[in-house]
Amino acid sequence: MRESTLQLVNYVMVLALLVTLALHLAMQAFLGVSGYEGALSYSTALARYREPLSASLLAILLVAATYHGLFGLRNILLEMRSGPRWDRFVTGTVLGLAVVMLGWGLRTIVVAFGGA
Amino acid sequence: MPDSIVSVEAARGRVEGVAKRQFRWAFQPPMNLEKLALLVQRVSGLGLLVYLFFHIFVTGTITSGPAAWDGLMGMLLNPLAHVGELLVVVGATFHGINGVRVLLLELTALVGHPIRPDYPYRVQSLGKGERSILYTAMIMAGLALIAGIVILWGL
Repeated sequence: MRESTLQLVNYVMVLALLVTLALHLAMQAFLGVSGYEGALSYSTALARYREPLSASLLAILLVAATYHGLFGLRNILLEMRSGPRWDRFVTGTVLGLAVVMLGWGLRTIVVAFGGA
Repeated sequence: MPDSIVSVEAARGRVEGVAKRQFRWAFQPPMNLEKLALLVQRVSGLGLLVYLFFHIFVTGTITSGPAAWDGLMGMLLNPLAHVGELLVVVGATFHGINGVRVLLLELTALVGHPIRPDYPYRVQSLGKGERSILYTAMIMAGLALIAGIVILWGL
């Protein structure tokens, strides 16, 4: 994929991340929870996965954060060294991490939404 | 890129290791606010990525039932973990707002008009708009620190 396309996708992910992360932090801190320990209770956490709107929020947050984070890591790694071998190593590492993080995260959301 | 293309490092013969080069880049003068912001942006970004990686697996225990979840959350309810979470909130706040500044810069907003270079030369890289966003990022990160302490320690 062209670098400019990757960067454009990154901009979209950044905007999604700004909104969803702010909401996510607010929900953990003060929206509809009583104290920090209350926000971490099993029933509260599970309710977040069961409710379609907040489950969608988690899914968008997961995809946006993973893309943005790994895109940033890729940029840093590609600035450190150059060359075809390094390129392949960086691409492989980033894609591998993406599969693991998105795979496990989406599995959690789907399984918890469907009824854990 | 075809294999026949030799990397710049290989062509020149690498003179110093990657870690040393990064360290030299980060701390060698001249140090200015913009470079410092980039350094904090990178460090916080990498920290947040590491946190995200583990966060995905920690929250994954929600599918293993209440015993596994409560056991793990009980382990994480300690002052050391709270300090880590505080760093995440402060880092995310600074990274987010400073990121907006970088985004606007990349979209050529807030850059200003070029001026004739007269002596004494003034650094033009951080205009008024940009500088104010950077200060906002610092202030908001400070407020996030206070809010985090209040929420995490229930003050």
